[in-house]
Amino acid sequence: MPKKNTKLKTRDKTTIKGLALGGHGAMPAAIDSKDGKIVRIRPMHLDEKYDREQFNPWKIKAKGKEFDPGYKISQAPFSLAYKKRVYSPNRIKYPLKRVDWDPNGERNPQNRGKSKFVRISWDEATTLVADEITRIKKQYGSYAILAQGDGHAESKIVHAAHGCQYEFLKLVGGSTYQMRTPDSWEGWYWGAKHVWGMDETVGLMNPKTNIVKDMTDNCEQMLFWGCDPETTPWFYIAGLPSRLCYFWTEIGIKQVYICPDVNYGCAVHADKWIPILPNTDAALQLAIAYIWMTEGTYDKEHVDRLSVGFDKFADYVLGKEDGIAKTAKWASGKCGVPPWTIKALAREFAAKVTSIIHSFGGSMIRGPFSSEPARLEVVLLTMQGLGKPGVHQEGWWKGFPRSVVTPDESPARRGSMYGYFWPPPPQVLPKTLIERAIFSDTPIKWHCSGAQICPTTDQFKEYTYPIAKEDGGTEIHMIWSDTPCRTTCWGHGNHVAEGFQHPKIECVVVQHPWLENDTLFADIILPVNTKLEEQDFGIDRDAQYFSVFLEEKSVEPVGESKSDYEVVCEIAKKMGLYDDYTEGKSIQEWIKTAYELSGVKDLVSWEQLQEKGYYVVPIAEDWEKDPAGMAQFVEDPKANPLQTPTGILEIYSESIAKHFPDDDERPPIPKWIEKGITHDERLTSVRAKKYPLLCMSNHPRWRLHAQCDDISWTREAETGKIKGMDGYMYEPVWLNPLEAEKRGIKTGDIVKVFNERGIVLCGAYVTERLMANVAYVDHGARCDWIKMGEIDRGGAINLISPIGTTSKNAPGQATSGYLVEVEKLDMAQMQEWKEKYPESFNKEYDPNSGLQFNAWLA
Amino acid sequence: MKAFVVDLSICNGCYCCQIACKDEHVGNDWTPYAKPQPDTGQFWVGIKETVRGSVPKVKVSYFLNMCMHCQDAACMKSCSVPGAIYRREDGLVIIDPEKCTGCKLCADSCPYGAIYFNDSLNLAQKCTGCAHLLDDGWKEPRCVDACPTGALKFGEEQELKEWIDKADPYRPELGSRARVHYVNVPGKFIAGTLYDPVEEEVIIGAACTLKDVDSGERFMAETDGYGDFWFKDLKDDGTFLLTLEKDGKVKAIEAISTAKDVNLGDIPMV
Repeated sequence: MPKKNTKLKTRDKTTIKGLALGGHGAMPAAIDSKDGKIVRIRPMHLDEKYDREQFNPWKIKAKGKEFDPGYKISQAPFSLAYKKRVYSPNRIKYPLKRVDWDPNGERNPQNRGKSKFVRISWDEATTLVADEITRIKKQYGSYAILAQGDGHAESKIVHAAHGCQYEFLKLVGGSTYQMRTPDSWEGWYWGAKHVWGMDETVGLMNPKTNIVKDMTDNCEQMLFWGCDPETTPWFYIAGLPSRLCYFWTEIGIKQVYICPDVNYGCAVHADKWIPILPNTDAALQLAIAYIWMTEGTYDKEHVDRLSVGFDKFADYVLGKEDGIAKTAKWASGKCGVPPWTIKALAREFAAKVTSIIHSFGGSMIRGPFSSEPARLEVVLLTMQGLGKPGVHQEGWWKGFPRSVVTPDESPARRGSMYGYFWPPPPQVLPKTLIERAIFSDTPIKWHCSGAQICPTTDQFKEYTYPIAKEDGGTEIHMIWSDTPCRTTCWGHGNHVAEGFQHPKIECVVVQHPWLENDTLFADIILPVNTKLEEQDFGIDRDAQYFSVFLEEKSVEPVGESKSDYEVVCEIAKKMGLYDDYTEGKSIQEWIKTAYELSGVKDLVSWEQLQEKGYYVVPIAEDWEKDPAGMAQFVEDPKANPLQTPTGILEIYSESIAKHFPDDDERPPIPKWIEKGITHDERLTSVRAKKYPLLCMSNHPRWRLHAQCDDISWTREAETGKIKGMDGYMYEPVWLNPLEAEKRGIKTGDIVKVFNERGIVLCGAYVTERLMANVAYVDHGARCDWIKMGEIDRGGAINLISPIGTTSKNAPGQATSGYLVEVEKLDMAQMQEWKEKYPESFNKEYDPNSGLQFNAWLA
Repeated sequence: MKAFVVDLSICNGCYCCQIACKDEHVGNDWTPYAKPQPDTGQFWVGIKETVRGSVPKVKVSYFLNMCMHCQDAACMKSCSVPGAIYRREDGLVIIDPEKCTGCKLCADSCPYGAIYFNDSLNLAQKCTGCAHLLDDGWKEPRCVDACPTGALKFGEEQELKEWIDKADPYRPELGSRARVHYVNVPGKFIAGTLYDPVEEEVIIGAACTLKDVDSGERFMAETDGYGDFWFKDLKDDGTFLLTLEKDGKVKAIEAISTAKDVNLGDIPMV
């Protein structure tokens, strides 16, 4: 019989939380809770409590169609599943101490990452940390403490996920700060900045005002160059780029993907896929330039008026400099794209109004010598009228219609701005050089602080570690991290593991919500809660409409966990610095301060914000008049100069020529670098005889770097994890059927991905979504070493990425486009490991979520 | 009567529907509508992916599989307990978790594989259309609310009429009168790139004629600036003859089967 069920109570309360995982605020979601537990996480609808007209809604009309961004703030799948993170079986529930670390006796640094932990009280933990800080300061000076507090994380303001310890250590006398260095924009930072400056946007095109509208109006073609609009924007604008790409298809803008893989954007949006071998984009770009030069199909007026050094570049491209003309045939041998397709791309690029889209990360920008493809990209765009209508770089990041204000979270943020520093503190270490610093017994020198936002000239400044003794310089002897993902997120993770075990490092403190990755190297672990367990202020400055919101507590903290800020407060109390650190303000007072300093004070009263819970910043009335992208530079370069020494585009960099005259890895004009002193990672290398595949790594589809690897619901997606015959859920390695067949590998097989730097076990995913000669593994999987520093079962591919930096004078990381071999794992070998390293196999593990909290308890 | 519409042309494969469903039903007890869903292995709304073609002509298609809330529901007929599977006034079909005895007949009978069996609760389970939320004033189930592109729609059949009218019949032979309607279901493709091996140039503007050998129907295309031609939305298991023609040169490719999507690769015009 038809019947209707009775009404159930489906929630007690709803709170708003920004669930972008980038560290800065974005993507407000509605969190429903009931009986003290989270019931559901759902997209927020901005028009729930406001009349839409108050937002001055924007729409873009083109070719008889209309794009309306709507009022729903879509969420990434891992943000929707964030309840699983809050209640993860891997949450750290109380403070821990490593069993064989005795601050008054044997410290056993060699056992970091191997030994288990015992429960201690908050009082004991904070006393230990406070005593160590005091001792280290007395013995060596406070710069002997390395503060690791940068990179992506939960978006928190008052409870700042990163750098609370750094701010606190300022009160103790300062610390050595780990400078983030790029982890998504390497090439643009180390290369493109030398051509066009763009200091504020880490080397990506700036300004980006109105480019979404301008590209919609004017583009005939878009090149998604190593770009995945269905993955990388998930952590700041979720599904909005997806909708835009569908709209661009609807109005006939051709979308061409240039990448080794059919990434998730290519899978559904591409009109054309041009597979290219990982990290060989520079060859393709040079051939495009060659074709334009020989066919006269570039904007000579633009080049002459707005750039310097084109003649030197032309000499190289045409072969006058080195005797090698950079023809399509030449490039084809390097990059694997057929010569006819290279020519077609060059001609289509010249004939059609074309923009290049990125949205960070991807196969083009993160490899060895990544400065070169990045610089070449700017040169190519320059040759086709960069800054003219429809000729832009990037995409949607900062490219939507302008709001009347952009809310700012930084004034009230209680931690450092994840490596934004400029100017940097006296003693710093780029994140890429920590191990070099630890292992060296003499001072090390390099160029560039690695600060995220810094002038290009910083790349010519020499830094030394440690700084002079009279200035407080000392080697580091203690590490305090709130960023324990260095092993799996940055390059050469196995080497990082060795660094943590060095006897110079007397104490490692980690504060984090989950027992994972570098947390295992800690001597003392302090449990942090997730943002759903705290009250905070929230800001979204990325979505279709910017907003501010009061983030009330969704649930009580799990176990004895405290927020990042509160953890540091506890230590500050022990050291008598609590009032100085908090500036005498309560959390509630800081939240009010965050509102007052956010820039929206004149738009919404504190009372109204409290009543509604959120406020949507209206779009500026005159947004359509904003000049698109670099239009003003193009119009009047003297009045709107770039941040380069000449104020215009520097295809030849006099500064590089002057400062690094002998650098053949990043010469004054961008070039193809086959190999160098820093890297030998091409298929032409003799190493390729043993390691014949190029390993590429994208930002992960089902994680945000190291975040969210323990969510059972994403692990069971088709490309989430691969269940091995032993029941373990392995990180997928994609292989083309040709490569798989050669090696006798089938989907589901447990395989070894390896080179001289170690072995990473993965689950084979054999697919036409990847070209031959390539192995593809997303980075950021959770480390699960069978043998520390050598054999990993978790699929953390960056453990075996190059130790060398971007190039010899560019201390960036190189984590995609390096040599490996893939082999089916011989189960006799697995058995041998089981016998040799029984501890590694006897840890509590659940295929749905990975290693459990109890796995590491003694 | 309520209905779902799935526009496959804008399903980007983000899995937000599948995850929102789990977020709603795993660990939450909505008796009498539904008992908790197991953490993994059940997909009341589930995404299935198909990789189509081969390098470099590759597409991924996503398909959303869920309870079709059939008007003529096999599960209701198969159920051994009167009233344990019932249809609400709004058309949603519900398995009553308090009446289900765990006989599994419904799970076996569902032609869509949309009913799962929960061993620990001894219970058949499936999509409820989030009826507990609709009864609490929600307009849409969780999966629809979570969809970022609007690929998944929910509402009264009359409101969705325009979509339902253009829906592709999905397994009409079942006669189930399903209330989930699929639009823009992709057909098979045949694609390739035409080039001149001597000049090492793609051939642009070549006339491409695809003939359905069985029906004689012809489809026309022209190679684009990349020398590419695409014939999309072709019937399954057809046999086709392709003729490529430019400047008097003609190339024919016979007996192309659309049992699978077809990438003819880079084709030299000789």
